[in-house]
Order: sequence, then C-alpha cells, then structure tokens
Amino acid sequence: MDVFFWVDLLQYTLDGALKGMLYAVIAIAFIVVYRAGRILNFAQGEVIIFMAYIIWSLHSVATLPVPAVILISLIMAALLGLATERGIFRPLIGQPIWAIVMVTIGLMILIQGVTQVVWGGRERPFPVLFPGGAVKLGPLLFTSSIFYGGLISLFIVSALALAFERTRWGLKLTAVAENHQVAQAMGISVKRSIAIAWMIGWGLSTFAAVVFFNGRVLTFAAATIGLHALPVVLLAGLESIGGALLAGIIVGVGESWAAAFLDPYTAGISSQIFPYVLMLIVLVIRPQGLFGWKIIERV
Amino acid sequence: MAILPCGIHFESYRRHMGYLRTRSQWIAFLLFVILLVILPQILSVRFIAMINMATMICIAVVGLQITTGYAGQINLGQSAFMGMGAFVCGSLAANFNLPFWITIPAGGLGGALLGAVFGIPALRIKGFYLAITTIAAQVIFPLMIMHMPNKWFGGAIGLHVPTARLGPITFNTDVSLYYFIMGTAGIMIFFAFNLVRCRVGRALIAVRDNDIAAEMTGINIFHYKTLAFAIGAGYAGVAGGLWAYYLRYVGADQFTLYSSVWYMGMLIVGGLGSIVGAIFGAFFIRALQEFITTLGPLLVRYMPQAAGSAEFWFASMNILLGGIIVLFLIYEPRGLYHRWNILKMSYRIWPFPYL
Repeated sequence: MDVFFWVDLLQYTLDGALKGMLYAVIAIAFIVVYRAGRILNFAQGEVIIFMAYIIWSLHSVATLPVPAVILISLIMAALLGLATERGIFRPLIGQPIWAIVMVTIGLMILIQGVTQVVWGGRERPFPVLFPGGAVKLGPLLFTSSIFYGGLISLFIVSALALAFERTRWGLKLTAVAENHQVAQAMGISVKRSIAIAWMIGWGLSTFAAVVFFNGRVLTFAAATIGLHALPVVLLAGLESIGGALLAGIIVGVGESWAAAFLDPYTAGISSQIFPYVLMLIVLVIRPQGLFGWKIIERV
Repeated sequence: MAILPCGIHFESYRRHMGYLRTRSQWIAFLLFVILLVILPQILSVRFIAMINMATMICIAVVGLQITTGYAGQINLGQSAFMGMGAFVCGSLAANFNLPFWITIPAGGLGGALLGAVFGIPALRIKGFYLAITTIAAQVIFPLMIMHMPNKWFGGAIGLHVPTARLGPITFNTDVSLYYFIMGTAGIMIFFAFNLVRCRVGRALIAVRDNDIAAEMTGINIFHYKTLAFAIGAGYAGVAGGLWAYYLRYVGADQFTLYSSVWYMGMLIVGGLGSIVGAIFGAFFIRALQEFITTLGPLLVRYMPQAAGSAEFWFASMNILLGGIIVLFLIYEPRGLYHRWNILKMSYRIWPFPYL
C-alpha cells in the first residue's frame, strides 16, 4: 500500500466519476421524458447518434464555427423533440405500456434507417470541440474531453436538478410527473409539459453526443451507449433527476474500479456486467430504485 | 368465444369448450394440416427455408405470448433464453452425442431455468423496470457463454452441432428439417393452446389483469410469475434447440437484443393475449423482413442508375419497417388477430353489417 496505489486509486475513482457524469446526462434524458409521459425512450441511443451526425455535418460539411454548431444543433434537437412528441407519442396517450415500449422501438429502427440513408452508414471522424490534449492536476492525468465534458455535465445536471425542485417552471413539470389529472386540474398544460420534456430530452442527447464523441470516430455501433445508461436510470429510480447524478457516479466509479482491479482476473467481463448486476441487486431490495417514487397501488 | 351459425347447440361442456366445434371447422383444420404436409412438394426450397426460420421463431414468440400476453410480464430477453436452449442442446449433441429427443427437451429446460432466474425479480418489479431487468439477461448472457470453458459452449468460436437423426432418417435438408420443425412446432402450439385455458393459464391471466387482486384471491403470484417466465423461456429454449439443429452452428452473436426486440414486435403486430395472434405476428413480420431483404438487392440490380447502393436500399427498408411498426401501434394497437376476428365475424353475419 504505497503512495502510488493511492494515486492510482484516486485516478480511477475520478475517471469513473467523470465518466459517470456522462451516464448521468443520458440517464436524465431518459428520466425527463419518462416523468412527463410515462414513456421510456428505448431509442435514446439512436437519438444521440442522430444528433452526433447532425453536429458532424454542421461542423465538417457546412464548416460553421463551434458555438454556431452547438447552438444550431440544440435548436434542431428541440424541434425534432417536438416533432416526435406531436407525430408519434401524442396519438398514443392512454395506450397500454407495451404499445409505448414498442413504438419507441419502432422509432429506434426508424432513426437508424434515416441516419443510414442520409449519412450513408460510414464511419466519420467526429470534430474536436473541446481543447485537445490532456489535463494535468498534480500527479493525476485526465483526457480533456472526459475532464471538461464531466465538469460541464456536472453543471448541467445540477442545474436541471435544481430547476426541477426550485423554479416554477420545473415544479410544473414535476407536478405533471406525479399525476396528469391533478396537474391538469391545477391549470398546468400537460400536453405542453410533455412537449417540453421531449425537447429537453433531445437537447440533453445532443449534449451527450458532444461529450461522448468529442475527437472520436462516429459509428452506429455506439448507439449501445443508450443501453449502457439504463442501469443508471433504474438505479436512480425512473423519477429522480438528482438521483441520476449520484447513480451515475456510483456506476461510473464501480465500473472503473471493476475494470482496474477485477478485469485482469475475469478476462474483462466484470466491468461490463457490473452495472447490470448492481442494478438487479438494488431492484430486488428496492423495486423503485434508490431515489424513485414509491407508488402505492389501490385495487 | 366467437358466435356460431344458427342451429348449433352443444350438449356437453367438453364440446362447448372445444377449439374445433363444428364439422366445417374440422374440415378446414384437416385441409390445413394436409396443406402443411404437402407444402414442400409445392414450394421451392428457398420458401421452405424461409418457412422453417419463421416456424422456429414462431415457437419463441408463442412462448413470449405466454409470458407477456397472458401473464403480463414484459420480457425483452427472449432471444437470450432461446440462445440458452440452443447452447444447451448443441453442447449435449456435440459433446455427448445424445439424440435430439433428449437434447431438445433439455434445451427447453435450460431456457426455462435461465428464464426462471431472471423472472424472480418480477415478484417485486413491474413495467419498465422489469423490461430492463430482462434486458440485463440479454447483456449478461453472451458474456457468460463466452467465458465458460471452451469445452462446454465453444467460447467465442461457437459450437458446431451434428445433424439430428431418428433411426434411418437424417434431418439434413431443408425439406426433412421442415417436417422436423413443423412437428415440434405442432406439439408446442398444441400445448400452448391448452395451457392457457387450464388452471395455470387462468391464474396467469388473473396475474396479468391485476396481480394484487390475484394474490387476494389465493393465487401464489411468486409461483405463477416465475412459472410464466419459465414456460415462456422454455418455449424459447425449444426453439433454440431447433435452431441449433437447423443451422448446425451456434454462436453467442446470433442471440441479440435486437432479435428480442423483434419478437416483442411480432407479438404486438399479431395481437397480445392470443396464441393465434403470436403465430400471425411471427409469420407476418418474418414475411415482411424476407420481402425487404429480397427487394433491396433486386432494386439495385434492375435500377442501377436510380438506386444509390444496396446499403441505401437496405436502410430505406429499415425506415419502412420502423414506420410500419409505429403506424400499426397508432392505428391498430390490438394487432392483426383483432382484424382477423373482425373479418371472421363479418363473414359469419353476412349479409348483415353488424349483429
């Protein structure tokens, strides 16, 4: 147990926590949409890929400056989010849960197809939007995209969590999350809230795309990032935004530790199954996740 | 129970509850069986291969219908359970040279066990949470298979399976396998039809409609939820066993989340809560997929200047497929089976528009 071990441990922990921030952002994209309309968007990964391709086009084909790229892509994300809600999910209000699950899966296939048709299914080098190189903090070394991305994610996630708890606008969305009828009776437009939730969801996906792909190769296979965030979502509970932050850190750090300390003995599987196993254990003990709402059913 | 023509009365409960109740139903059924038997003589081998594939998937989807359609437990891990069956069956056949009438039931049992294990959380978890715990099965399964000793399941390379034999008959062509698969499917579907209307089936329906109320009436929901997963996954396991004998190669990458999702899609397109619906859905979606994979390359061949590339067409087919699912759910969420019933009803009461 010399000093190097502790430096390594700190490095793994912080790396994991920063990566966990990214999971938290994607998880919140899931959660915001779920809270509003009881829709778990399985197409989340595809949405991220789709927005990543749009950013690539704006940056590499239209050669716009970085702030313009981010602004335009966010506006497009909001519009597309609105379109998804209007076109697909509004006609399905009141349908049973399988219809919703399935329609998000249909959406997933649809977005895959559109992405392949428009961008031809080739790999693209994603632009470097953050300053390149590595960030040095004393003896610790971070990849700059993970470092800055993690910090910005932390800021966005905390800002959103605060907004949902403290602002009038956020409380309206929370009221809709609790009960549609009661919210409607209180004069909150449920339809508008669901639309806003979808816009936030797509916006967060755009941001996740920037952080995740910064300086990497953009492929379709990366859509599995959406599924990797699912254990975080369930660990936090489907209703809790602040919880997603903590769950993201737990999963990120646990994954990083498992990769560092267990993977050499288990041929690399422990870090991959860790999030799912943790999720299963927590769900069996607390079915609503760590911070989800316990809903009492009446028969 | 659908309405019957005038003048038909049943004198016993047994006859009233039968699936085939009138002479014309018996005739139609027998004609259908005869059609199935002579089908390989009519159609080309390519179509038979497609039907084989669809029938195996149909068994898995019927199993999913029992878990999801009857017991109401969402399951997005059916493909992993199918894979478990395929690996158990393939491993027994390849390593111990056991005959298929031992390995296929063993495969079903293997699938059922895995299903039961992942069904246990269903006691406490519902809805989306459950959907994702079954996705966990789908994620953990291939990793598990790959890291077992190579001797057991072939590891990352996969498993080569010997042909199925019964006395002098070797099931190695598409036509002989057609009878093999159809026979198994017939048995499985027969069981499914009867399962859902016996005590177990009714208990499952009670659990689906409201599990708390079901528990109040004395149904042990832990038992029945686990059973629902075990039976559904057992069907997938049998389908996996057939898969192993059909493709003669089993690899962990054949059983993806993507196919689980498709099985769920087949169920919904066909209609939840009926065995016939599951069969409709499986065959309808498979036919659509085959049509699309055939049409894409054809378009490229005949219109090389208009079409960009095979890739482009394949992707546009994806758009079509995704679009069909979305539109189906928006406009006909009760599935094809509901349409079929409407059609049957309007035939029976013709020339009147409604009853």
